[in-house]
Amino acid sequence: LPAGGVSLRLCSTQVAQEGINKPVIDRIIRVDHAGEYGANRIYAGQMAVLGRSSVGPIIQQMWNQEKDHLKKFNELMVAYRVRPTVLLPFWNVAGFVLGAGSALLGKRGAMACTVAVEESISDHYNNQIRTLMEEDPEKYKELLQVIKQFRDDEREHHDIGLEHDAEATPAYSVLKTAIQLGCKAAIFLSERI
Amino acid sequence: VRCQHYPPLRALQASAVLRRVSDEHKKEPLTSSSQQHFDSHPADHQPEQEPQGPRPSYTGQGGQESEDYESEEQLQHRILTAALEFVPEHGWTAEAIAEGAKTLGLSVAAAGMFHSDGSELILHFVSECNTKLSELLEKEQKLVQLGEAEKKPIDEFLRDAVETRLRMLIPYIEKWPQALSVLLLPRNIPSSLSLLTSMIDDIWHYAGDQSTDFNWYTRRAVLTGIYNTTELVMMQDSSPDFEDTWRFLENRVADAMNMSNTASQVQSTGEAVVQGLMGAAVTVSNAETSRAMR
Repeated sequence: LPAGGVSLRLCSTQVAQEGINKPVIDRIIRVDHAGEYGANRIYAGQMAVLGRSSVGPIIQQMWNQEKDHLKKFNELMVAYRVRPTVLLPFWNVAGFVLGAGSALLGKRGAMACTVAVEESISDHYNNQIRTLMEEDPEKYKELLQVIKQFRDDEREHHDIGLEHDAEATPAYSVLKTAIQLGCKAAIFLSERI
Repeated sequence: VRCQHYPPLRALQASAVLRRVSDEHKKEPLTSSSQQHFDSHPADHQPEQEPQGPRPSYTGQGGQESEDYESEEQLQHRILTAALEFVPEHGWTAEAIAEGAKTLGLSVAAAGMFHSDGSELILHFVSECNTKLSELLEKEQKLVQLGEAEKKPIDEFLRDAVETRLRMLIPYIEKWPQALSVLLLPRNIPSSLSLLTSMIDDIWHYAGDQSTDFNWYTRRAVLTGIYNTTELVMMQDSSPDFEDTWRFLENRVADAMNMSNTASQVQSTGEAVVQGLMGAAVTVSNAETSRAMR
């Protein structure tokens, strides 16, 4: 081993990209992957109930974009050798149940769920953009670009939800608060486990 | 209250003892190195260590060093590497470390820098073996990418990787059971577990695993099981060149492949059954509807 400062490192693997802040990037990619996975399942649940209604095509379109997002994070996960969250099977079920449940409240219910979730995700992406900008905008240029693009997409979904009378849902604010609380918990857990 | 100066002080004493006897390692004079140790935030010269006493932290990274100054971690690294030669004779003990220190021209008191049960020596050895394995796998991957070698099927790859890694134990096989028991001490479990998981992750990475779902965990758990059981079999194996162990390994890997094939078969069968039932339900409801219409 070279004499220049190679220490008794616990981790015996080689980092794919030298010089990146591995713990921070790990968390970011893991939680974003979990988020896109969950979003996919939410739209799948909504389609299962409202697929044949008038909002079907719009939900399908938003779902397709989420599928692209998930694909991108799958690639990033392999490239940076990040471990996926162990809660994936749980988000699989929980996401579907949330989507189907909100859709059973009607078209507006589904749109309210979309608004709540997309707002949480946009805020979350904004936080990550801030973190990466503070770290080193040059080093993480590609990742920043991806997250910015996805944040804009999610914002668009949020606006579509509002356009389709999300706010007219009965108990809108209660529903929205509950869903956003759930999102915060999901983000906290997926970052860590 | 953690005394922040405790590690450097101990290092200073240890280093002082060593330097009194050694010739080769005349670095900067004692006073200036003590200056460096007692700086409040010697970001460049002090390797990042948790203030947990004189023991080296395995999660720390070596700091930048000025050209002639050798960090305590580097020194310990060299002593432990030299000590490995004496393990077959003395076991994973302070004696082996003392002998290793002697070959470097240091005082046998150097062994006092380490735990008496040889924990650091064993962890150092495991870490070195894992690094060697990663380098070999990296080299092999390069050859495949350049087209100079065939890409191995997964079961063969896993078998070869585990065999290569276990073969590194052969020179120390007599004393390895002792090492295993030390690695299982509660104090050492975080380190030894971390070394194990990163080694298994490495093997899967080079095997081409690109799973991003729960399979990530299943595969690593299975391979960890294969590795650990094969290691234990190797301890008891007295066949020529451990051929019983490699046969055991081959069978376990084959079992794992079978399990995953069976799992996917079960899943497709399950899906087919569900579709069949749904078809039957639709047919029956159509029949009922048309009968009701008549």
